Formats: sequence, C-alpha cells, structure tokens
Amino acid sequence: MTEQTLAPRSPDVAPGDGGSDGPAPRPTVPPRPESHARRFSPGWIAKLILVGLVDALGVYGIIAAAGVESWWIVAFLVAALAVVNWAYFSRRAVPAKYLVPGLLFLLVYQLFVMAYTGYIAFTNYGDGHNSTKSDAISAIETQNQERLPDSPAFPVAVVTRGDELGFAVVQDGKAEVGTADDPLAPVDGATVQAGKVTAVPGWTVLSFADIAGRAEAVTALAVPVSDDAGDGTLRTQNGSVAYVFSPVMQYDAKTDTFTNTKTGVTYTPSDHGNFVSAKGEKLEPGWRVTVGWENFTTMFTDSRLSGIFLKVTLWTFAFAFLSVATTFFLGLFLALVFNDPRVRGRKIYRSLLILPYAFPGFLAALVWSGMLNSKFGFVNQVLLGGANIDWLGDPWLAKLSVLGVNLWLGFPYMFLICTGALQSIPGDVMESARMDGAGAWRAFRSITLPLLMVSVAPLLISSFAFNFNNFTLIYLLTGGGPDFVGAPVPVGSTDILISMVYSVAFGTGSNDYGLASAVSILIFIVVGVISWIGFRRTRTLEEL
Amino acid sequence: MRRSIFSATAVALGAALALTACSSGDSGSGDKPSTPSAAATTDAPKLTGTLTIWTDETRIDVFKKLGQEYQQQSGVKVSVVQKASADIRADFVKQEPTGQGPDIIIGAHDWTGQLVTNGTVQPIELGDKASEFSPVTVSAFTYDGQVYGVPYAIENIALVRNNKLADSTPDSLDALIAQGKQIEAKDSKVKYPFVVQQGKDGDPYHLYPLQTSFGAPVFKQNDDGSYTDTIAMGGDNGHKFAEYLAKLGKAGVLDTAIDSQKATDAFSKGQTPYIITGPWNTPAFKKAGLDITVLPVPSAGGEKSNPFVGVQGAFISAKAQNPIVANDFVTNFLGSEAVQTELYTAGQRMPALTAAADKVDDPIIKGFTAAAGTTPMPSIPAMDSVWAFWGTTEAQIISGSAKNPDSAWDTMIKNIQAAIDKSKG
Amino acid sequence: MAAIDPTVASTTGGTGGTGDAGRPAGRVNDTRLRGRRWWKEVGWRHVVGVVVIVYCVLPLLYVLSAALNPNGSLTGSNDLFSTVSLSNFGELFGRGFGGWAVNSLVICVVTAIGTVLMGAAAAYAFSRYRFRGRRSTLTGLLLVQMFPQMLAAVAIFLLLLQLKDVFPVLGLNSIPGLIAVYLGGALGVNTFLLYGFFNTVPKELDEAARIDGASHAQVFWTIIMPLVTPILVVVGLLSFISTYGEFFIASTVLQSNSKFTLAIGLYQWASDERNAPWGLFAAGAVLAAIPVILLFLFLQKYIVGGLTSGSVKG
Repeated sequence: MTEQTLAPRSPDVAPGDGGSDGPAPRPTVPPRPESHARRFSPGWIAKLILVGLVDALGVYGIIAAAGVESWWIVAFLVAALAVVNWAYFSRRAVPAKYLVPGLLFLLVYQLFVMAYTGYIAFTNYGDGHNSTKSDAISAIETQNQERLPDSPAFPVAVVTRGDELGFAVVQDGKAEVGTADDPLAPVDGATVQAGKVTAVPGWTVLSFADIAGRAEAVTALAVPVSDDAGDGTLRTQNGSVAYVFSPVMQYDAKTDTFTNTKTGVTYTPSDHGNFVSAKGEKLEPGWRVTVGWENFTTMFTDSRLSGIFLKVTLWTFAFAFLSVATTFFLGLFLALVFNDPRVRGRKIYRSLLILPYAFPGFLAALVWSGMLNSKFGFVNQVLLGGANIDWLGDPWLAKLSVLGVNLWLGFPYMFLICTGALQSIPGDVMESARMDGAGAWRAFRSITLPLLMVSVAPLLISSFAFNFNNFTLIYLLTGGGPDFVGAPVPVGSTDILISMVYSVAFGTGSNDYGLASAVSILIFIVVGVISWIGFRRTRTLEEL
Repeated sequence: MRRSIFSATAVALGAALALTACSSGDSGSGDKPSTPSAAATTDAPKLTGTLTIWTDETRIDVFKKLGQEYQQQSGVKVSVVQKASADIRADFVKQEPTGQGPDIIIGAHDWTGQLVTNGTVQPIELGDKASEFSPVTVSAFTYDGQVYGVPYAIENIALVRNNKLADSTPDSLDALIAQGKQIEAKDSKVKYPFVVQQGKDGDPYHLYPLQTSFGAPVFKQNDDGSYTDTIAMGGDNGHKFAEYLAKLGKAGVLDTAIDSQKATDAFSKGQTPYIITGPWNTPAFKKAGLDITVLPVPSAGGEKSNPFVGVQGAFISAKAQNPIVANDFVTNFLGSEAVQTELYTAGQRMPALTAAADKVDDPIIKGFTAAAGTTPMPSIPAMDSVWAFWGTTEAQIISGSAKNPDSAWDTMIKNIQAAIDKSKG
Repeated sequence: MAAIDPTVASTTGGTGGTGDAGRPAGRVNDTRLRGRRWWKEVGWRHVVGVVVIVYCVLPLLYVLSAALNPNGSLTGSNDLFSTVSLSNFGELFGRGFGGWAVNSLVICVVTAIGTVLMGAAAAYAFSRYRFRGRRSTLTGLLLVQMFPQMLAAVAIFLLLLQLKDVFPVLGLNSIPGLIAVYLGGALGVNTFLLYGFFNTVPKELDEAARIDGASHAQVFWTIIMPLVTPILVVVGLLSFISTYGEFFIASTVLQSNSKFTLAIGLYQWASDERNAPWGLFAAGAVLAAIPVILLFLFLQKYIVGGLTSGSVKG
C-alpha cells in the first residue's frame, strides 16, 4: 500500500527546500471528494466490507466456540466485536480506529503469555508436578501394576457381546471367557487355533482393527482371573497377548487415598500435590497445585545463593548498560559516517554492515566461542600471533568477551535504527549549526543527538531491558562461566540474573517452572520500574 | 474427566481442552467414571486415527521410512514429526498432559526417570520378548521394576586408534600416554599423545571410563544393576581420580581448550594416535581415509574402565491416542529383527535385539560393543543434579583453577548431595 | 553496483549530517574534492568502513569456510578454505531447504507488512490525537515488551490448542497461526520508533489538508505515510529480520517438516550435540542471509537518501 501512494507523491511534496521555520509548505493533495460525501466514498465502502468481514468471522467464531463450550473465547470475541464496531462506526473514536487492530493481537497473544506466566508463578509446575491430579492418579495406577511372578503370557482374543467387552484365553487346554465383572470361566464350543481362541458362541471376536478402534476400552479392561482378587487380573497392552497383573497401589476414590496392597501403607494427598504416607514418603508423579507466594520467596531464602546474588545483580546491570551504550554509539557513529552522500559505495558498505544481523544469533555465538578458544582460537592464534589469552576462562576477560560479542551482534540493529531516525533530522538544521562556527562534535552533541533521541530513546530503554534478560547470548557463549569455584549452584562470572534463574530452576536437577516464572516476574518488575523511570525522563525530550 | 491445566484461571477453556481429548479417542484415563461415554463413541470398525511419532533430526529419515512401512503393513496412518534433539524431551513433557503430544517418542534410556516421575509414559510389558534383547538394554529402560521403553540400539564410547600412527596399544592409560608421547616426538605432524574432548564446561561423560577405573562410579548400583541415588564417587577413590585429572591437566594431556570439534578435527588430521569417542564420529574418520581400530579404554586406576552405555529406544505416551497400535509398533514392529537391522544400517549402532546384533560383522561397531561393559547411564532423576557440578569441577581441576583437587572433589560431592536433597523436596 | 545512486544524487539536497551548504550533490562533488580535504571529509569514512566490515565479516568467514567444506567442522580448525566444494549447497535442497525458504519468506513478508501497518496506525493515533489513556497505553506498550518470555512457548502452545477448535486456521501447525502470533508483537518497540518519527512531521501539514477537506484516513494514507517512508522501511526490515531468525515460538507452533521455516530447520541441525552437520548448517545460513542482504540493498533507497528529508523539517 505504501508503494502505491509513494509514486505520485514525490513531485507533490517537493524535496529539499521547504523552509524550516514558518508554515510548512502545503502539500498538493490530490483532489478528493468533499468531506460530507465521505459516507459514500470508496474508502467508506471498503471499510464497510472489511468490518463486515471481521464481524462475519467473529460471529462464526462465537458459534464455533460456543459449540466447543469455550466460554472464554466467546466472551472475548463478543467484547472484541463490540469494540471493533464501536471504533469503526462511531465518528468520535478516531484514535481507536487506529489502535484497535494492533491492540487486539497484542491482547490475545502477549497478554495471554503474561497471564499464563503469572498463574504458573503461583504453582509448583515442574518435574514431578506436570499435570492434573487425575492424570497423576492414573499414572500411579498404571505404573504400579505388577505382573505376577512366573505367570504365563496368554494369547488373547478380545470379544464382545452387545456393549460388553471381554477376553477369551486358553487356560489348561480349555477356552475361557471373562469380562470386567465376571471372572474367567470355561465356555463350550469355542474354536481354538494355535493356542488362541478364534471363535466363541454368543461372542464376536474382534479383529485387530476393531481392537485398535476401541483401544481405550480394551487397554482399560481388567478381567479377574478368579473370584479371588489376590489371583490378579488379566490385562493386555497390545490386544494380542495378555498378562496377569496385580495392582500394588490401589486407589480409593471415596477416601481419596492410595494403599499399597503389599505393605498396607496408605498415602493421602498433601497440599503440595503429592500422595504422601504418614512417614513422609511421596508417590511419583504428583500434580500441579497452587502454592501461594512460595516461589517468590524461595530465591531469597535459598542459602546457596546468598553469596552470589549481589555479584550477579551488579554484573547484570553493568552488562545491560554497557551493551546498550557500546552498540548504540558504534551504530550511531557508523550511521553518521555513511550518511554522507559523498561516500562512494555506501550502499555496499551499509549492506555488509548488517551482515552480523542477518545470520542466526546462536550461530554467531558458537563461532565466537570457537574463535575465543584460548589455545586454538582465531583471535589468539592468528590475530595475536599465538598468544595464550584465556578469553573465556578468566572472569574479567570473559566479561569483556561477552560485551565484545554482544557489540558485534547488536550494533547493526542500532545502525539501522539510527540510519532511519537520522532521516528525520533536517539537513539545514545541521548546516546552520555549522555556519555558527560550531565544530562537528558540538553540532552533533547539541543538535543531532537530542533530535535523534526523540525517536530513539524508548528503543534504548527497551534494548536495556532486552539485554538485561539476554539469556541466549550468555548461555551460548560462556554458559555463564567461568563458574565460581566451589559455588553451591553452577553459576559463574558472566551469569546474569536470568541465566542464574535458569541454573537454579533447571540446571541442578528437576525443572521447576513455578520458580522460574516467579523469579522472572520479579526481574520483570525490576526492569519495568527502571524502564518506567527512564521513560518518564525522556518525556522532557518529547512532550509526551 | 481430566481437568484442565488451567483449572484455577480458565475453567471454561479447560472444558474445551478435555473435549478435544475425548473426541480424539484419547486414552490414559480410561477407568475414570465419566469416560465411558467418550469411549462408546470410538467404536469405529476400521483402523482410524493417526499414530504420531516424535523423533529428532538425527534419525528422522529412517523413521520416516519405517513409518511408511508400518503404514503399508497395518493400514494405520503414521505421522513422523521432527523435533530438535535439544528440545524433544522437554517439549514432550510439556505437551503430553494436553493429550496433544505424540503416541510414541524415540529417545534415550536416560530420559526414563524424568518421563516416569512426570507420569508421561506408560509401562510396556515385553513378556517373553524381553529375553530377545541384550540384557543391559532392557535394564536400562527399567525404572522401579517396570520397563518403559523398547530398545533398539546401544552406543558407548571407546578408545579409537589411528593404525597408521600406532599398531599396538598398551593396557594401561599411563603406558598409552607414554607411547603417544614417543609417537609425538618422532612424527612432527603428531601434536597430542591422545585426546579426550573437554571444553570449558568439562565433559564427565567422556572421562567416565577413566573415573570408573579408579573404582569411583557415580551412583551405587543395586544387585540387579539398577541405580540408587547414593553417590558413590566420593572418598579415596574419588580423590585418586581427581588427583589424576590434575596431573594430566598439568602435563597438558587433558586440556579444556580441546572441545569436541577440536578433538575430532585433530584425530581426523592424524595429529594424534588416539581419541576417546563414540560411534557417531567413526563414519567421518573413515571418510577422512583413516584406518582405525576400536578398543576398550585402557585402565588408568587399575580397575576395569566402564564407559556409560546409552540405549536408544521408543517410549509410549501415557496419553497415546491409540495405545494398542502404539504398543504393536514398538514391540512387534520396532522389536523385529528386520526393523532392528534396518535401524542398524541407517544409524550404525549395535542393535539391541540379539538376533540382529549377532549378524553385525562390522569390526568397528563390534569394537565399541566389546568396550561397553554393563553400566548403563543412570536414568534416575538424581542424575540431573549431577552433570553441571561434575563437569564444572572436572574442568576446574584440569585447568588448575581449582588448586586442590581433593577439596574441589569433596565440595562437588557436597553440592551434588545438596542439589539432590533439594529436588527431592 | 553503481557507486552513486541516482535517486540520492538528484534529491539529496541537504541530507548529510555534515553536509556543506549549497554543495551540489553527487558526482560533481566527488570530482571536486581532492587530496587532504577529500581525506578529511570523505576518505576516512572509507577507512572506517573497511575496518568495520572486516570486524563484521571475519567470524562469518568460518561459516563460509564450513559451508564450502564437505566434511568440515565449524570451529575445529583455523585452516579456512582448505577444501572448497559446493556439495553442501547441493545437498541442502534434498533436505527440504527450498520449502523452508518459501515458508520463511511468506511468514516474514506478511508479518513485516502487518507490523508496519499496525504499528504506523498506532503511531499515528499516538502522535496526532490526545485521548484518555494515551500515556498509560504508551507506557504499557513499552513495559509489555519487557515481560520475560520464558514460558512463552508453553503458553502459546496452549492458546493455539484452544484456538484450533474455533479457528482451525489459527491453530497449531498452521502458518497463518504463526503469523498471528508474531503480529501479537506488532505494537512493540517499533511503535516508539514510528511514534518518534511521526512527531517530527509538522502538524501543519495535516491541518492544511484537513482544511482542504481531507478525512483523517486521507491524511494518514496520503500525507503522513509517504513522508515517513524511511522509518516504515526500517521497521519493516527489523520485523522481517527478527521474524526470520525466530525459532523458539516457531518450532512450537509448526510441527511438520513441510511447514518449517529456515530458522527451525537450521536450528534443528545445529542442535545435534554430537554430529551436527555443520557444513550443511553453514551452507544453509549463508543462503539464508542472502535474502536479508538483498532486501536491505533494495530497500536502502527508501530509507536513506533523500526521498523527503528536506520536507520533514519541523
């Protein structure tokens, strides 16, 4: 769309010479219908069609969502449709017309992630607490079916009669049939081929396809071997062979407890989502429950972190700040250097400058980590003529290396942004500064930079926040190392807060998403407050 | 009825979730009181639905082919999904509870502990078939007395020798290093007596044969070969190993600057007569024109050296949409000699099925098997608490940044124990 | 490869940060500056350019070398370009690379266009209208970007699982579904970049147009948008590039090989700890970078050089 409007514009809006002060030149707007005719303009019809389409989709969505009883989606769609129609048909809500599309997408995808993370932060979601209680119960039941020692394998036929499902097996040379309610009992007139029942009067023998079609019922079926429950039940996993199992853990829905049939120990549900015996033994798996603020306090009460927390926090701030500063100034410098039209081939220069940005970041981190290898790396071997500098092994050099690599990765972004933003700075503002005898540096300091900051400052803030949580770089380049010698958590000199969280929540045993979410939310609050303050300060620059 | 994972915040969304699960003939909660209605609707007479298999990028090609074979054979539609090896396990654990995960996941036996404690996989009763696999492969997939995976291949590291540089190998590591140094002195192209990949974070997996030869296995084993979570690598034997590492590190024989790419590059270029590595690198060595022999790792501390044995196999999801077909696929199809042989041809790892393994006559693969021993990599969840400390500490001892190897080792044991205690809650 | 871009030459006027007043643009200029003055004002820029490009390209030589080496490692050796062969590039296309590239381009182009349109619309509202909640919305947009994405993949998976029942096209394993997820980030930091730039377009321009009877939509489409082309292109490029390299969410949403993007495919190759096919991976990365470079080469004339900088004075 931009392309179309571009073409006729350049002659209309004259380049280069509109005065910088006084009224701006009036652009030659192509003749338009009068504003009161707007209701019937092509634009208005286009709007009508578009909103109509959105409405149709929305109504379809409401019906579909109601069909599957997704009431949250129904509610959201109803609200969204109301907002859309209000925004586009009300004459007053002009800003809303421009904000609604983007905000709707933001609301669905970004806010859902936030809400979900917020919810998880209050749960014990993680290894051992991966799903719901009913899943945990069924997992404990299936994991604790013990095949009776020395019991034979029965070639089994799955048979049905009406709604009833049963197993037919050959035992002691005789065909026997049983169901969930009726233990195995001999039947007369059954056909047996090669040790397997192939036909039973009154029952239909299911084919493999039939069995697979009713897999859920077949695998759930447990046919008692005899009237004595202690003899176990016949079950099959593949529909062709059955074994005699006896449950070690028996679940009682009434009391909501598990009982070990061998030892008689009972396990009752705890408020941390596990069946626990009186002695404190836990059954795995547990399930996900909310645990209140526990995850939020863990990080501060974990004695293993006490000595490390401060060091890591300081480095995180230093890393984020220096990363922004270095990438921004290099990017800006290069943008200025190549903003001069007299430089031949600057198109090529510029294109090559964004090369680091065009390659996958993780690839770059891997290559750099190879290049910085103390013995064989390119930097030591080739650039420094065989020096033996331990770039990634020495705590301070590792910090320097991380910043250096981040500079390489990040300056093209800043370069692009600054190049774009520089285009809003009128050339003759610069010129008048030069006329006044201001040096290039002063002109830059007092004119270019402040003007540039108008559009770039929020990006610097957000870049700060990004680097504050730049997990990928640290993880791939140094893994946080060199690790502190003997530290009780595997955390090192280049670890930033978010990678430390990762080490603690995932690196030393079971994954703990609850903890990870809670701490990352705390980090978010810290970064958010800093950014908010920074953002308010930029107000002086941009009359918010 | 399965409750939604959102139960607290979005009950209604959860209803939809559960509904999806039911309509797709999902199992795993079959004996709950409210499911029969769902079950009753799934009595379609033909083989319907899809068998979804997750596998990683390294074996996607062969499993695609196997999937097609099985599809022709059984009529079930097989969909093979490629996941990144770095994410496949975590993604499975996260997605399985929704009922939208795969029916079968191809992976390594050491996932068993995590998958079981999360309730994401179901036991597989191998019955008499169990005896058709080599014992270590079945015990590797056994957790708490139940088998959770059907094995198809074994892999482990061993000593690989460049026959052009050395034609015989002594039976102690010290003698081997001495031999390597002589070769290095004679041949200007040779730069290292032998290489073991390390890297800045260490690599305890590749050092484990050395460690076991000092009698310091990571965890105590039960009589049946299964692991307890009692750390067994502390004490005097552990100290001896730590001191040995420090010695080799000081002598420059072990070096944290040598990572896996550097190590294999050095061996491929004939810069070292020996490397400790696994079967994943030998095809490249052969391609580089090397004449190689695979041998057990010579003992460093006097006892037999045992590398970790890794076993590859297939797990069935606890919520497999069609457990019967999934079971048929993993036990009868994947466990058949023809398929195990096909997997061997594609992956060049010793088959787990004895009948298929007996027909392997590649001296290199047989050499790896001969070096294997019987200690599978522990699959207990406590193992996850070990790796990070273990690697870091070994790297620090080798590089000399941990000045006293004994106390560094003790600190490591203490930290691992604390981490295990913490994750047990 | 023309050294002087004709557009630049004819329209630049006073763009340059350090431009001389009244200096004729382009070619004439280059022939006039000689010797020390040329060095002082232009020449050194070439030196800076060459130095920085070396810094940029050096690590990438490893990638190129690995791409040309049929059985090479990525960082195992410093003997760059010891073997040169195109076999990796040939093999790429047998592995679905072509399809991934098409998917990537479709996803990234649509996302970039969507991001530009939605971002520009929002920036227009923020820049030209004063309404209740404006400041808090702006601040909110900034803060939302900082929210940790640690659980994003799980959350997005669950969300799309729900959406699949209502709008199958927005569900899992669907390219439109992934694009919609990416558009969720359209009103991000880009909005601020646009907003800042919009603010430098004088309000008198739209007021004049309004007096002439233009509607707000006409002002937006025909006055503002053309004037802010440079930043639209920058935002489009930024969106394109970041989507192009994104594999975290993409690999959760897209599950079948035929729907993969380049980033997912490459990431999966690299994630093999033991035998990552570095040669193949590097070749893929080299090819994947080409569209980005070409795109930038092509779009540069819209970013810089003089479309309109003169008339955007405040």
